[in-house]
Amino acid sequence: MLEALTDALSLALDPSVLLFVALGILLGITLGAIPGLSGDMAIALLLPTVFYLEPASALGLLVGIYKGGMFGGSISGITFGVPGTPGAAATTIDGYQAKLKGKPNRALHTALYSSVAGDTSSDLILIFIALPLAAVALKFGPVEFFALYAFSLLLISALTRGQLAKGVAACALGILLSMIGRDPIGGSLRMTFGIPELAGGLSLIPVLVGIFAVSELIVQVSKAWAAKSRAIVEDAKEKSNMFSDYDAAADKLPFRDFLKLWKATAIGTGTGTLIGALPGAGSSLAAFISYGLAQRFSRSGDEFGKGSMEGVASAEAGNSATSGSTLIPLFAFGIPGSATAALFGAAFILMGMTPGPNMVRDHSDVIYALFIILVYANMVNLLMGKVLLPYYSKMSMVQPRILLPIVFCLAIFGTYAAGNSFVDVWVLLGAGLLGVVLRLYGFPLAPLILGFIVGPGAERALRQSLLIGGEWSYLFSSPIAIGFYVTALGLILLFTLLLRNKA
Amino acid sequence: MKMHRKTLVAALATTVLGVAAGPTMGSDTNGDSPLGDGPIRLVIPFGPGGGSDMTARVLTATAPEFCGPRIDVVSMSGAAGLEAVNHVMNAESDGHTLLVTDYGPIVTSGFVDDVEWSHDDWDPVMLFTEWLPTVYTHADHEIDSIEDWVDKLEAEPNSVTFAHAAPLGIVHLPLILFEMETGLENRHIPTSGGGETRSMVMGEHVDLGMTLPASIAAEVENGTLKALGTFADERADVLPDVPTFKEAGYDVSLPAWLMIFAKNDVPQETKEFLQDCFMEALATPTAESMSDRTNAGIDPRGMEDSAELYHNTVEMVGSILREIGEID
Repeated sequence: MLEALTDALSLALDPSVLLFVALGILLGITLGAIPGLSGDMAIALLLPTVFYLEPASALGLLVGIYKGGMFGGSISGITFGVPGTPGAAATTIDGYQAKLKGKPNRALHTALYSSVAGDTSSDLILIFIALPLAAVALKFGPVEFFALYAFSLLLISALTRGQLAKGVAACALGILLSMIGRDPIGGSLRMTFGIPELAGGLSLIPVLVGIFAVSELIVQVSKAWAAKSRAIVEDAKEKSNMFSDYDAAADKLPFRDFLKLWKATAIGTGTGTLIGALPGAGSSLAAFISYGLAQRFSRSGDEFGKGSMEGVASAEAGNSATSGSTLIPLFAFGIPGSATAALFGAAFILMGMTPGPNMVRDHSDVIYALFIILVYANMVNLLMGKVLLPYYSKMSMVQPRILLPIVFCLAIFGTYAAGNSFVDVWVLLGAGLLGVVLRLYGFPLAPLILGFIVGPGAERALRQSLLIGGEWSYLFSSPIAIGFYVTALGLILLFTLLLRNKA
Repeated sequence: MKMHRKTLVAALATTVLGVAAGPTMGSDTNGDSPLGDGPIRLVIPFGPGGGSDMTARVLTATAPEFCGPRIDVVSMSGAAGLEAVNHVMNAESDGHTLLVTDYGPIVTSGFVDDVEWSHDDWDPVMLFTEWLPTVYTHADHEIDSIEDWVDKLEAEPNSVTFAHAAPLGIVHLPLILFEMETGLENRHIPTSGGGETRSMVMGEHVDLGMTLPASIAAEVENGTLKALGTFADERADVLPDVPTFKEAGYDVSLPAWLMIFAKNDVPQETKEFLQDCFMEALATPTAESMSDRTNAGIDPRGMEDSAELYHNTVEMVGSILREIGEID
C-alpha cells in the first residue's frame, strides 16, 4: 500500500503531469465557457492522445479538462446568461441576475469557490467511501429513480415563488419536448410529424442554448430596434452607462464573505455527491435539486432568482460535486454512470485497464496517481480561475451589442460542433423563438430545461417499473421510494405552512 | 516513467492541434491510390467513447501510412444514428466518406424507418469484428444456465424480467429470435444502454440482461456476474466457459458485426483499394496491440465475406421483423 502510494506520488507530481493538468484546465475553462461546447466534447476529441501519452499525463489532461469545463460552464452562464454546459443551467438563474446588478465578479468568485469546494469533497468521498456509496447507488432501480425524478420535479416546479402554475406549465412543456422522437420502450416514433431528422429527439445542447441564449439575443436586438425606431437615444445611453460605469473595485468577494455561504455550499456538495453517484442522474439534475433545497432552507429564500449568491453557490457546488462521485459506479462495478464517466471508462480501456473493482487492485499506482491528480487539480483550477476571472468580469461588461453577436456565432458553432448536425442548428433557432414567447408571457425558463432533462429518465423509469411490477402499487414497493415521496410531501406542507404564517 | 522532452513537446502539440482542428497527422499520398488528397472520414452513428468509436480509431492511428490521406472519425448520433447513415449516402461517391456501423442503424433502420435508400445501396468494404450477444445475470440468481431459464419460463410463463438496450437493436433481436424459436415469453425491459442494463442486473432489479462479452468478461471471471449463453455459432474468446445457445440445443445465432460500408456507386477499384489498405493497417503490430488493449477483438475480413454476412443478416432481421409484425 505504502509502496503503491509512493509510486503514485512520484507519478502524479511529475512536472510533465502538472503541465498537462494545467493545460487541461485552461482548455476546459475556455471550452466550457463557449455555449454548446463542453469538457466532455474535448475529452472525446482528445481520447486518442491516451495512445501517445504516459497514463498519468493522459489522465491529468482529461481530469483537467473535465474540472475546468465544469467551472467554465458557469462563466458564460453568469456573464452572458447562457449556460456554457447543461450543468451550469441552475447557476445561470442567479448568476446572471447578479451580473445585471453589476456584481459579475462576486458571482464568478462565488461560483469558483463553491465549485472547488464541492469538487474536492466529492473527490475525497470517491477516494475514501466509494464502495459503501456505490452499494447504495445499486439499490436505485426504476422504482427509486422514478421517485427521485418525481421529487426533483415537485421541488423545482415551484422554483419561482408565486409563479407555481407557470413553473409547472414550463416544466410540463419541457417534458413534452423531451418526448419527441423514438418511444424508449416501444421503439416507435412519436411527435416527429413525419420529419425523419427528429427521430432521435431534440438534443439537449441546442434546446438549452436556444432557450437561454438565442431568446436573450432576440430580446436584446428587438429592444435596440425599438429604441432606435422611437429615437429614444437617451434611454439607450442610460443603459450603456450601466456598462461603462462598471466599478471593478467595488465588485469583489472577500473570502470571509464566501464563508457566509457555507450552508448553501454544503447543501450543494452533499446533494451533488449523492446524485452524482447514481448512474444516469447527471450534474444538471444535481445542480437544480441543490438550488431548490438551498432555497427552501435559506433565511433569505426570497432573494433566490434575483441575484442571490447562495443560489450561485448551491447550484455550482451541486454541479461540481458530481465530478468525483460520478466515477464511483465506474470504479466499483464498471458501470459508467454519466457521459463523462463513459469517456473516462473508454480512456481506462485504451490504457489496457478494465473499469471495475479489479482496476484499483491491478493498477494501484496509476489509480492512486489519478486520486492525487483529482485533488490537486482542484487547486490548480482555483489558481487559474483566480487569475482569469477579473478578465472575464470585465469582458461581461462589454456592451451587449458587441458581445451578443459574438455569443450568437459561438452558440451556432458550438451547437453544430457538438453533434455535427445542421438539424441541431435549426432546433437552436426554434428553441430561441420559443424562449422569446415564454419570456414575453413571463414563464420561468429554468423549469422547462429541468423538465427537458428529467423527462426521458422519468418516463423510462415509470414505464420500466410498470413493466417489471405489472401494477401501479409497485411504485410504492421500495422504502427508498417511499422516503422520497414522504420527504416531498413533508417539504411542500412545511413551506405552505411557513408561507401562510409569513402572510 | 519519465517522459522525454521531445515526446512531451510532440504530445502537447498534438493535443493543442487536436482541439483546434481534429487529428492533423497525415502522410504522403500513395502513388497508386485512386483516392484524392482530402481526408477519409469514418462516420459512426453513435456517440464518442463506445466500442465502434474506439475500434474505428485504430484505423486513424495506423491506416494513413497505407491508404495515403489522413483518416478522421466523425461521430454523428443524431436522429438515432440515421443522420450519419444519410450523411454518408448523400456524400460524393469518391470513397472519402464511409460508414462504420453495426447492423442496427443500417439493416434494422432500413426496414423500419422511412429512409430514401435500400439495403442494396450499400456495399461492405470490410468487417472489423463480430460481437456475440450474451445473456447474463447476477451471481446469486437462481437461474444458472439456459436450461434453468427455459424451465422457469415453462413452469411460470412471463415470469422472468429481461433488460436490454434499444428496442429492436443488436442486444434485443436475439432475444426475440429465441422466443420465436421456443415459444417462450419474457417480460422485456428496455433500458437506455448497456450501463443501465448492468446496474439493473447487479442491483437485482431484473432477472436477466443481454450485453456484449467484452463488457462483462472481468466480472464473469471474478464471479460477480454469471453468463448463461451466447447467441453465436462459436463461443466468445473472452468467455471460453460460456456455452452457445446452439450447444444447448437452440438454433439461434445472431452475431452483431461491425463493418465499414461504402455506397454501392463508389468505384469497385476504390473499394478494393480501401479494403486492402485497411486490412494491411490492421495487420500491423501497432493495430494488434491497440486491439488487445481496447478489447476490440479485431478479426478483419474482406469485402466478399462481409457482403455475404451482410446479406444474410438483412434476410434474418427481415424475417424476425415480419414475424413480430413490425413490417409487412
